[in-house]
Amino acid sequence: MQVLADLATEYWRDFLAGTWLTVQLVVLSSVLGLALAVPLAIARLSANRALSGAAAGYSLFFRGTPMLVQIFLVYYGLGQFEAIRGSVLWPVLREAWVCALITFVLNTAAYSGEIVRGGILAVPKGEVEAARACGMTRAQAYRLVILPRAFSICLPAYSNEVVILMKGTSLASTITLLELTGMARLAASDTYQPIQVFLLAGAIYYLLTLAITRLFARLEARFTRYMTDAR
Amino acid sequence: MTTTGNSRGAQPALEVSGLRKTYGTQEVLRGVSLEARDHDVVAILGSSGSGKSTFLRCINLLETPSAGELRIRGELIGMTTRRGRPAPADPRQVDRIRARLAMVFQQFNLWQHMSVLQNVTAAQIHVLGRSREEAVEKAEAMLAKVGVADKRGHYPSQLSGGQQQRVAIARALAMDPEVMLFDEPTSALDPELVNEVLRVMRGLAEEGRTMLVVTHEIGFAREAADRVMFLHDGRVEEEGPPREVLAEPRSERFRQFLSGSLK
Ligand SMILES: Nc1ncnc2c1ncn2[C@@H]1O[C@H](COP(=O)(O)OP(=O)(O)O)[C@@H](O)[C@H]1O
Ligand SMILES: [Mg+2]
Repeated sequence: MQVLADLATEYWRDFLAGTWLTVQLVVLSSVLGLALAVPLAIARLSANRALSGAAAGYSLFFRGTPMLVQIFLVYYGLGQFEAIRGSVLWPVLREAWVCALITFVLNTAAYSGEIVRGGILAVPKGEVEAARACGMTRAQAYRLVILPRAFSICLPAYSNEVVILMKGTSLASTITLLELTGMARLAASDTYQPIQVFLLAGAIYYLLTLAITRLFARLEARFTRYMTDAR
Repeated sequence: MTTTGNSRGAQPALEVSGLRKTYGTQEVLRGVSLEARDHDVVAILGSSGSGKSTFLRCINLLETPSAGELRIRGELIGMTTRRGRPAPADPRQVDRIRARLAMVFQQFNLWQHMSVLQNVTAAQIHVLGRSREEAVEKAEAMLAKVGVADKRGHYPSQLSGGQQQRVAIARALAMDPEVMLFDEPTSALDPELVNEVLRVMRGLAEEGRTMLVVTHEIGFAREAADRVMFLHDGRVEEEGPPREVLAEPRSERFRQFLSGSLK
């Protein structure tokens, strides 16, 4: 216990910085990932074979390969393309944290896309028909009825995906990023006290998970009120 | 094409001719025709599976007819073929036509995530382009008309079936539709709730609304309808004023159908 306290006093700045980077990666990846997941889910449900096929292929690739492999592919792979090296974006794309973010967004979009697709399919058919029957366009039906309905149906499953994503961000440490795990590795080799250091890191991850589940419990209470307030 | 304003009444609100619908090899509608003029109330009867729902759903193009013509106030709905199957030629025409034909479903189909008031204002605002104030004012008037004004802040799941169906009727009314389509609006209700909905529908009939009502309520057909249409196996088996055809059905099938139903 004493050792933990010493660690905390000596390394709290590092742990804070690492935690902050982890939080940034999780928030950005989940927001951007969800923004990508919605069109992906709609594409998968499209009657257009080419579109739904492409979306399904994307989803299979990112769910079928380890995220560690994906992060290496992005980090070491992007530079192999002359077109990318030559582009104006190269200084940005070269950054490790951009590579990590791209990987996490693409990866979580694939999983979230499946969740959103399930949610869309679970919207009662009659409510969609009622939307179309009063003259709403397909886009309006999505915006006003299907997506809000799917959103509340998906929330519990999506909360789980964000927790998994949060733990997945530890892989960013393999490409030099000093997020929570990366910082912990550094501190462990400095202090030769890996057990204490990783216990502390684990505790922080646990608290973050708790925060995420709390947040989603609130969202759920807010957005599923219409289902739970039955007469 | 003249505007609806000055052609109202001159053209029938709805003309259906030779409507056919096939699912795979099964022909569900085999040439059904119907003309509804303003203020007409047409009761559509028929046993389960005779094609009543399919008929209504073809009229607002929730199903695409395989053949036949549909005109709303004289405007022909353009059809074409896409990948060898019939399809509406212009999706925007379909959306425009649907906004003029309101539908009330057997299962209410209220949007569960919206309050009662939002259910009644959403399409007014987003489809008709009314301002929020105008839509709310209209919604409140329609909710009062069907007797659920006090439920405006509730979610559908907090209402009884009868109340939900009345909200669905208010949602339909708020669009100022030229024709209202009802698909067995009381069939999903507990018996003690049927009358509160029928009472509202009688009121609408008396007010001169143009309505097509698929129903098993023979009493409603007799008292509120101007015309009764009996569908059997995708065809109009009998048609006429309710007092005549209900009292003395010419077709044997219609006779059997009527003696089978309780009222
Ligand atoms: N989407 C569909 N696909 C295949 N068959 C259908 C479909 N919808 C309806 N049918 C068939 O069409 C017939 C008429 O159905 P419906 O119009 O619902 O009858 P009703 O409303 O008079 O009970 C039934 O035999 C039904 O099985
Ligand atoms: Mg039916």
